Amino acid sequence: MKDLFANLYNKVLSFFHQAENKDRESAKDVACNRLKLVLMQDRTNLSPAIMDRMRQELIDLLSKYLELDKELLDLNFEQEDEQMALMLSIPVIRAKEEAEILALLEEEDNEKENNDEEEETSENEEDDESENDDSDDASEIADESEEDSEDAEDSETPVESDSENEDSEEDIEK
Amino acid sequence: MTGHVIVITSGKGGVGKTTTSANIGTALAKAGNKVVLIDTDIGLRNLDLLLGLENRIVYTIVDVVEERCKLKQALVKDKKNPNLSLLAAAQTRDKTSVSQEQLKDICDQLKKKYDFILVDCPAGIEQGFQNAVAGASEAIVVTTPEMSAVRDADRIIGLLEAKEEIESYKLLLNRVRPNLIESNDMMSVEDVVEILSAELIGVIPEDTGIITSTNKGEPIVNDETSLAGQAYRNVARRIMGEDVPFLDLTQPKGFMAKIKNLFTKLKGKV
Repeated sequence: MKDLFANLYNKVLSFFHQAENKDRESAKDVACNRLKLVLMQDRTNLSPAIMDRMRQELIDLLSKYLELDKELLDLNFEQEDEQMALMLSIPVIRAKEEAEILALLEEEDNEKENNDEEEETSENEEDDESENDDSDDASEIADESEEDSEDAEDSETPVESDSENEDSEEDIEK
Repeated sequence: MTGHVIVITSGKGGVGKTTTSANIGTALAKAGNKVVLIDTDIGLRNLDLLLGLENRIVYTIVDVVEERCKLKQALVKDKKNPNLSLLAAAQTRDKTSVSQEQLKDICDQLKKKYDFILVDCPAGIEQGFQNAVAGASEAIVVTTPEMSAVRDADRIIGLLEAKEEIESYKLLLNRVRPNLIESNDMMSVEDVVEILSAELIGVIPEDTGIITSTNKGEPIVNDETSLAGQAYRNVARRIMGEDVPFLDLTQPKGFMAKIKNLFTKLKGKV
């Protein structure tokens, strides 16, 4: 008897909820997401393939220092006056242990000693990164990341980080 | 005196540039300002229709630049409001009939005698747009909560940012449908503002009254009972520097919505 009522109740409920099915992405969200993506391409003139690569390389780079929720990464270009700004927002699950980071860094670069950054600076680097990027021409970044991927020198410039991060891709695979 | 020259632009066609020009112009004039509306959509003129002035046009902007008449002769006074004048576009010519310098010159002359010069821009980003923007120092970007209109608005904003003469631009969101926003089927005002990261100057609800007002050649701001008219009057007040809160467009809840709410609450308790 109780089951029957629960059943009936659920049926009535689902009838009234037909219109707003919360599991399904709403038309508004689809529009917002599609627009954000297409505007990013419009504003930078970068192809979706290049954007994907940049996004992936940024994830790889930051993943060395922080455990991130990659699904929720939000990358966007915004126009502020005459300056274009790269807005990057990724939920951080946790900061990695210093030892963990150092081990990873040591592994990927045995010769160089100058990459012993603390985990705090890795967070700052996220900001630095986006600031550096917006002053550069966006297409330049894409070019540089491909050209400079061979020669690793200081790990401080964003160009460099990009190149390191190709190595880190291999590390993760190992 | 130096009047404000404001270009009303959008990129995409059909989002309501001309309706917006006619209504803001009329509202500004009703508030006591001396206003000129310039239709720069040469070859596709419509502003005269929206104002109901189509039978009074003798000279157009092309006649002015080709010196067949004086600028003053080409200004058509509104039927009701002597503060409002229209400089009509030519219908039988194209956008190349007027140059950027010529339009700038016209605006410079007008702003000595008028408080507001509103330039109704044609759709697109080609010469018509470049001409319309040439004499302006402020811009209103009209868009609707649709993807294509927002994308085009973003493009226009990019072009406006690159223009040194344009000191500021603001966003006017037209044809907003609160019931669709409430059901998450349409982008909200906040969504569009966030995506374009631009300052808002007005939110105009979709209103069937716009159709009848266009048919009659009478801007909807003259209708005191219309919500869209109220929203346009508020835009005019903001242009005049007043701080006017945005209208609450959320509609009163219907019977079904109330029942739905009740069930949602019940669900929480079970």
